[in-house]
Amino acid sequence: MAKPTFTESIGVVAPTSTELSTGARVIKFVADRGIIAFTVILIVYAAIFVNGFASLPNISDVFYRAAPIGIVALGMTFVVISANYLDLSVVAQVATSAVIFIGVSNQAGLAPAILLALLVAVIYGVVNGVAVGFFHANAVIVTLATTFVGLGVLRWLSGGSIFFGPNGGVIQSLGQAKVGPIPLSAIVLIVMAVILGFVLQKTTFGFSIRSYGSNKAATRLAGVRTGQLVVGAFLITSISAMVAGFVLAAFSNTAVSSMAEGYDFQALAAIIIGGTSVFGGKGSVYRTLLGVVFVSVLTNILVLVGLTFGAQQVAIGVLIVVAVSIDAIARKLVKN
Amino acid sequence: MPDPKSLSTPVIVADHIRKNFGGVSAVDGVSLSVAAGEIHAVVGENGAGKSTLMRILAGVIAADEGEVRVNGVALSGGPRAALAAGVALVHQELSLIPDMSVAENIVLGSTPTSAGFVKRREMLATARSALEEIGVEVDLDEPISRLSVSLRQFVEIARAVARKPKVLILDEPTATLTPAETKDLLDMLERLAKNGMAIIYISHRIPEVFQLCTAVTVLRDGKLIHTVPIPDTSPSAVIEAMVGRELANELAADHAARTVGDVVLSAKGIRAPKVNGVDLEVRAGQIIGLGGLVGAGRTELIRAIIGADPRTAGEVSMTANGRTRTINNYQVAVRSGIGYVPEERRTDGLALSMSVIDNVVLPNRSALATAGVLRNARILDYVGRLADEVGLRPPRIQQDAGQFSGGNQQKVVIAKWLGRRPALIVLDEPTRGVDVGAKAEIHRLVRGLADDGAGVLFVSSDLPELLDLADIIHVVRDGQIVGTLPRAEADERAVMSLASGQKAVND
Repeated sequence: MAKPTFTESIGVVAPTSTELSTGARVIKFVADRGIIAFTVILIVYAAIFVNGFASLPNISDVFYRAAPIGIVALGMTFVVISANYLDLSVVAQVATSAVIFIGVSNQAGLAPAILLALLVAVIYGVVNGVAVGFFHANAVIVTLATTFVGLGVLRWLSGGSIFFGPNGGVIQSLGQAKVGPIPLSAIVLIVMAVILGFVLQKTTFGFSIRSYGSNKAATRLAGVRTGQLVVGAFLITSISAMVAGFVLAAFSNTAVSSMAEGYDFQALAAIIIGGTSVFGGKGSVYRTLLGVVFVSVLTNILVLVGLTFGAQQVAIGVLIVVAVSIDAIARKLVKN
Repeated sequence: MPDPKSLSTPVIVADHIRKNFGGVSAVDGVSLSVAAGEIHAVVGENGAGKSTLMRILAGVIAADEGEVRVNGVALSGGPRAALAAGVALVHQELSLIPDMSVAENIVLGSTPTSAGFVKRREMLATARSALEEIGVEVDLDEPISRLSVSLRQFVEIARAVARKPKVLILDEPTATLTPAETKDLLDMLERLAKNGMAIIYISHRIPEVFQLCTAVTVLRDGKLIHTVPIPDTSPSAVIEAMVGRELANELAADHAARTVGDVVLSAKGIRAPKVNGVDLEVRAGQIIGLGGLVGAGRTELIRAIIGADPRTAGEVSMTANGRTRTINNYQVAVRSGIGYVPEERRTDGLALSMSVIDNVVLPNRSALATAGVLRNARILDYVGRLADEVGLRPPRIQQDAGQFSGGNQQKVVIAKWLGRRPALIVLDEPTRGVDVGAKAEIHRLVRGLADDGAGVLFVSSDLPELLDLADIIHVVRDGQIVGTLPRAEADERAVMSLASGQKAVND
């Protein structure tokens, strides 16, 4: 029996199966390897034709900006793969984590702030996960509700005010820290991708999540505790949202309850463009990282060539339709 | 060629149809013609291309080569065009909408409307006349979800008949029906044919074919073997043509006496929806079969016993490796050494879009991991060995489970549990929709498990299978065990009379 190749073993490429027609093979190739090819093409194109792209400051800026949403997307990949759509409450979670990171550390120091943020993340993960995994409530509705509650509590307790870190404080210096030319936030993004990728691809937990996303009934009947599994997926998303909150707060040295608006669907966009299936089961954390890089590079190019925010949104929207259609067509082909 | 006695011109002609699915030839140059009033059987093993051919006839999928002609006019333009030309297909899998009423389902796709509003009176009239035509009585306003599986089957047929088709295609309509319901269905088809409909009838049940049909077409591996008038052939000749080899006598296997050990599973006073108080014991090395009619509560019973569905009363305990545990939920059942092969393998047994490897790993994930991290080398070795043991064909364990035939999918489901050396294996309709060859192999695996000392509990509506495999048969009716037959006393008549309640039990 042939051993899986490296790309197969990390889940970026599905193992090539039976004989397919040429057209089907092209679609399958695009569905499997498209994101790698497109990302490479885009970067090469930008490096050659777009002024100011291929400079170290610009590249590190791309990663710098990509980090917060990217980290959320990495974690949320677990929820998407478990066939539970998405976690809308990351909007509330990232903002809460950022406000605690700056607000609480101003009052009581960094360690209590981190501990409190961790506690909040665990509460979010468990509440979302138990409602979805044990009570079989719809993930979209549950996380919509926890977004309302979470943002409400945050605005209530923070009074809607903006929190500033002290000038020259630890948080600000973390936000500006670099290892060589690489910003710390980009390193956090990569490290999170490696850890979460390992968890999803190589551990029994990650394997069970993927299997659950493919077929819930069959996974339960294999003796898997599916409720705990879903709680785990939401917990990972919440911990990632917490880390993203830290990165985002350090980024500007400020925090406010509205600062993560749009993170829910932007993270989902990166996941889908990366090629993780919205139907669950298929996909990987590494694909999400590629999706994040692709969207960030594209946005960067559009900014560099002087296109407006509106044009950027149009581009992302079109890409999502293309990615989802390719996934749907590839699924149909494989079924036939 | 069709029955030579009927000189009428064929209504539907399939001319050298060819269809490939991703390099695999599903239908390979098959021709077929059926005349009005003819009931034409199409038989073959699973994967022989019957369903694909029927879907081409009904325009659901397009042929790569060849054409379908209805009354001499070539068919093109998908299922709507086929329906308009008078070809109606009753699907193998039910395609009714559970939350809609009987009448709404019957007219679905051609709902009579006026300015966008449903013409209810006309809808009811159409539905009523279709049901009258097939001679079934059912409340038109009843939602489909409240009907039995067999009634749904009849509604499905009514839906096809409501279109007043010239050609009616039925794909294994009797698979889920009881003998009495089957008889009703066959009578109905005879009536429809007398009124001039051409009927194409797919079935695994050879006796039905000989009772009902005028001619039979045999397919094997996508190829046409032959078409013969029924009077000119015999059941054994048809089976031989289907499998392409003399059926080895291993089908009627060795009944070497097994040594029966201690009690493995003990269930007392089990109650659940459709289960009304059942006591049951399975011993090591013993094969217990549950017989009865579809809907008697057998699936519900075994699922309640192993905790896959909640039970309202009763106690279950499992004894394996000298340890006795109370089974209160499904996870405990699995950890106590129970393996479960569910009835719906495509929805409950397998993740079709995952590889064979992943499917087999799932229940064994802990054993194949070190500290929670899966070991690839160990997995490949483990799954490769099991694929070999169950005789997976083709042995491509990297391939998605959904790409295998029904029989091989079932082998994968069994492989999921086989490696754990289960103390008890519970199988629900283990060979439904499986071809003759795979069936024999699955029987071999089940016997092998019992020979190795596992207890076996299985449900089967296939009487020969039940009689052949089980050491003891419990017959279930209305959620209760109404009779127990040791192998020596069991025959088809005894099981059926208990199952249908025609005879009192005399122990």
